[in-house]
Amino acid sequence: MSTPSFDPPRPGYARFARSDRVQHAVMALSFLVLAVTGLPQKFIYANNHVLDDTIDLLGGIEAVRVVHRWAATVLMLATVYHAVAVGYRTLVRRVRLSMMPRFQDVVDAWQSVRYNLGLAPQRPRMDRFTWEEKVEYWSLVWGTVVMIVTGFMLWNPIATARFLPGEFIPAAQVVHGGEALLAILAVLVWHFYAVHLRSFNRSMFTGRMDEHEMEEEHPLELERIQGGAEPEPDPLAVRRRERIFQPVATVVAVLLLAGIYWFVTFEQTAITTLPPSP
Amino acid sequence: MKTTPPEIPSLPRPGPAVFPTALTALLVALSASGARGQDECLACHAEPGFEAAFANGDSRDVHVDREAWEASVHGQMGLSCTDCHTDISEYPHAEIPDRSARDFTLRLYTSCETCHEEQFQKTLDSVHQRQLAAGNKDAAVCADCHDPHVQKKITDPDTGALLPEGRIVIPRTCAKCHAEIQARYRESVHGADLAEGNSDVPTCIDCHGVHDIHDPRTAKFRLASPRMCADCHTDSKKMDRYGLSTAVLRTYVADFHGSTVTLFERQHPDQVTNKPVCYDCHGIHDIKSARDPEKGLQVKANLLVTCRKCHPDATANFPDAWLSHYVPTPEKNPLVYWARQLYNVLIPGVVGGMVLFVASDFVRRRRDRRRARRQRIEPS
Repeated sequence: MSTPSFDPPRPGYARFARSDRVQHAVMALSFLVLAVTGLPQKFIYANNHVLDDTIDLLGGIEAVRVVHRWAATVLMLATVYHAVAVGYRTLVRRVRLSMMPRFQDVVDAWQSVRYNLGLAPQRPRMDRFTWEEKVEYWSLVWGTVVMIVTGFMLWNPIATARFLPGEFIPAAQVVHGGEALLAILAVLVWHFYAVHLRSFNRSMFTGRMDEHEMEEEHPLELERIQGGAEPEPDPLAVRRRERIFQPVATVVAVLLLAGIYWFVTFEQTAITTLPPSP
Repeated sequence: MKTTPPEIPSLPRPGPAVFPTALTALLVALSASGARGQDECLACHAEPGFEAAFANGDSRDVHVDREAWEASVHGQMGLSCTDCHTDISEYPHAEIPDRSARDFTLRLYTSCETCHEEQFQKTLDSVHQRQLAAGNKDAAVCADCHDPHVQKKITDPDTGALLPEGRIVIPRTCAKCHAEIQARYRESVHGADLAEGNSDVPTCIDCHGVHDIHDPRTAKFRLASPRMCADCHTDSKKMDRYGLSTAVLRTYVADFHGSTVTLFERQHPDQVTNKPVCYDCHGIHDIKSARDPEKGLQVKANLLVTCRKCHPDATANFPDAWLSHYVPTPEKNPLVYWARQLYNVLIPGVVGGMVLFVASDFVRRRRDRRRARRQRIEPS
């Protein structure tokens, strides 16, 4: 996604607005907390000392479950913010849908594989978001949806069993744990390699990329920028669209936030249970 | 599964013979040489209806059935009356110092320690001793369970293991005080089988221990209890005889309740918890077969009642959230089975694919860098 405002005098090319970077930090932090509090829960049956001690260190299993739910709430809030922000950029500012998967991504991926195996003469020349970045972004979107849906079932098992067969709850437990493991391993392999190991990509902290990095990773975007600045959207049109977007987005955001509130306060069964009656 | 063994009451291990033989031999030798012979005592005490009176008005039958004594383990070993009744050395006997018949028992039972030190020491840790120390004189001591004048040998002399005829009388022994519980046990799937002579089934001591019987109302007992049940219920030799699953512990631990309980048991065995353990659903002494057509947990309505003890809002579908100890298969709980299969394929598939691409990318980039460096040094 392209971005609304940058500080002009700094060198390099704009990549992430401040709000993007804050979103990333909040998301990364909540992901980390969810992983640290989630994995030991998933593997209690394995009787692993390190994981057991982690639970103890964090204040016991009940505390771990509460922290896990707080981190989940933060991630859900970040998700709502992201949805509204994307809505603004695409509907109001009409920016290029640079994160949308295209057939070209499949072609690029195939060329990357062939190049690495020595079967293609050169690497694919890619635009603002490479196919690798799109794989990661859409995995995150898909994973977050799966985790929110299954997390709801685990958090509110009694409500779930009102409108679904009870077997959905243990199935949700399997999917929640499986998807979590998949996400954590994918981040460790894919994300760490792409932005930390291969070369340290600072743009998520600085917001900018230098010319060499752009040449290496996003040559098509660089070409386009050097070919002439993107036309700014017509301010009048933007203002007109904002007038529609703002009330609609407010309603949607309020509904989503109410949904989160409903989600997290619906029932407390899964944490606190009544003492068994005699 | 690797765990530290919980400190729970346990069966006496086969080990040193229950009767300390060296000490016995010494006593037998002593009684033969100097101590009062049994015939001398039985001259009076073999008479039926012989009673002793106590200061508080109690009277106790002090008649000893000669035949029963001679058939008893103590009689068989040739023990003499004064080996235990050490305070009696002449006739007429000295005044009994005890106010009541119970005081008499409570004074005398300590003489059991002379020969049965191991068992006696264990009882000192028991809930009965604690009750006694707190002033409850009715708390059981040795002779309340083992009448020393008629007690037969109940363990195998070679292995020290409890004999089947010993097992079958245990509930009756405990019922002397715990009659109500025994009545419930007798109706249970275990109790009914024990009465038919089945020695696979647990009786009182298998869960509560023997001699060092602990208070079963503690958090510690609660957390340790699943392992007690699992001792038999994960033993495939035993369970195969009844067509029962040995996955009961594994499936319990895989679920929320079981994972919390076993985690506490591993880390904080005294932790109080309201998460259900085996007996919260299956019953304590009145355990019925899950297949019992009326009371069994396979009847969904019965399970719902159990769920509602802690989840009062639970509706009809809710009990199915617990897989009833079934390991998911395509036939039983297919949704869970296929979810598991999906991630069994997805995780290695996706992550494996990522690793392959990352590895190829890493190698290729390193080769590209080396080639670029070579070209800088010797430009062609």
